[in-house]
Amino acid sequence: MKTTCIIVEDIQIAADFLKKFCEKSGLVDVKGHFLNVHDALAFLDQYKPDLIFLDVEMPGANGFQLLDSLTYSPKIILTTSKTDYAFDAFQYHVDDYLKKPFTYKRFLEAVQKIQDQPIPIPGPAAAPAATTQPSIDMDFLFIKADDKLIRLKKDDILFMESMRDYVKFVTPGKTYITYSTLKSMEEKLAGPAFIKVHRSYIINISKIDDIRGNTIYVQGNAIPVGKGHKEELAARLNIL
Amino acid sequence: MKIRDGQFVFHESLNAAFLEELFEGDTIYAETVFEDFLRDLPAYWEKVQASYQNKNMSLLGTNIHTCKTLFGYVGFTDLQELCQEFENKCGLNTAEALQTDFGVLTRKKQEAQKIIENEYNRLKKYNEG
Repeated sequence: MKTTCIIVEDIQIAADFLKKFCEKSGLVDVKGHFLNVHDALAFLDQYKPDLIFLDVEMPGANGFQLLDSLTYSPKIILTTSKTDYAFDAFQYHVDDYLKKPFTYKRFLEAVQKIQDQPIPIPGPAAAPAATTQPSIDMDFLFIKADDKLIRLKKDDILFMESMRDYVKFVTPGKTYITYSTLKSMEEKLAGPAFIKVHRSYIINISKIDDIRGNTIYVQGNAIPVGKGHKEELAARLNIL
Repeated sequence: MKIRDGQFVFHESLNAAFLEELFEGDTIYAETVFEDFLRDLPAYWEKVQASYQNKNMSLLGTNIHTCKTLFGYVGFTDLQELCQEFENKCGLNTAEALQTDFGVLTRKKQEAQKIIENEYNRLKKYNEG
C-alpha cells in the first residue's frame, strides 16, 4: 500500500520536484500541496496522511509551528535549504531532513527509511510489545528495559518522551527507554492522571511544578506545549 | 526522458555534475524547471528589493532565502552559497552596512538570470531537435 502524504511548501519549483519524485517512486501518494501552514492545518483537521513533507521557512507560520499544532503523529520529512534547523529537527523527532535542492536518490532513501520503520497501529493488541497487558485499574505497568521487565508505578512517572520507535520514561530517580510508541502509551495510560501536551510528550499532571508561556516545568525538565494541545490542557487543569 | 546521442552540456557557471544528478538526463524536465525559474525569480526579486529599500532586514533575509532555493534548482550552487552568507548577515547588520554586499548580489542575480535565459533557449532547441 502506498504511503499517503501532503506537501507543505511555498516554492512551486520545489513542490513540483517533490510531486514528480513521489510519482516516480510509486511509493507515495500525494493528497495535497499547500503553500502555507494555515491551509495545511485546515486539511489536516479532516484528513490524516501518513507523511508530511514540510518546508520550514514559509510566509506566516513556519514548519515547526505546524508540528506544534498537530493532533496526531504522522511521519515528518523536513525539506529546507538551511542546515541550521538540524537541532530543532532532532528535538522535534522528525524522521528525516532533506536539504533543498535534493536528488531523487536522496528522496528515495528518506522515503524507504520511513517505510522500513514499523508503522504504529492504534490499539493495545497491535502495539509493539512494551508492556504486559496492564489493567486500566492497576496503579503500575511493566516496561521492557535493560533486558528485563520492570514494574513502574504510574504515579512515579514524571513524563514520557517519544524517541521515534522508542519511548523514554522519566521518573525522579531514573530514566527508562523501551521499544514502544507514544500513541500506544497514550492509550494504555488513558485517564485523568496523564495528558499529551505535545506530539512528543505525555506528562503526569500531578507532577507539574509550573507553566510559563508554552512550557511546562516538571522537576527541572522543560516540556513544550504544542498549539494543538493547549485547549485540552487548559480544560484539564484546575485553574483558579 | 529524452535520450539523445549528443548529451546536453550546461553552461560552465552551473554545477553540471549536480544538475546531471538532479535531472538524471531528463532535459525536457530541465527545460520546464528553467522556464519556471524565469517565471518566478522576477517576482521574488521584487520582494527582495522592496524589503531592502524598506530596511526590513528580517524580511530581506526571508526573501533572499527563497531566491537562494531557486538558484539551487538551476545549478547556481555558488550563488546559493553567496545568498546564504547574505541571509546570515541580514540578522546582524543594517541595510546601509550591507549596501556593497547587496550590490554584488544584485549584479550576480542579473548575470544568473541572463545565463538561465540562454540555457532555457538552448534546452528548448535541444529538445525540439
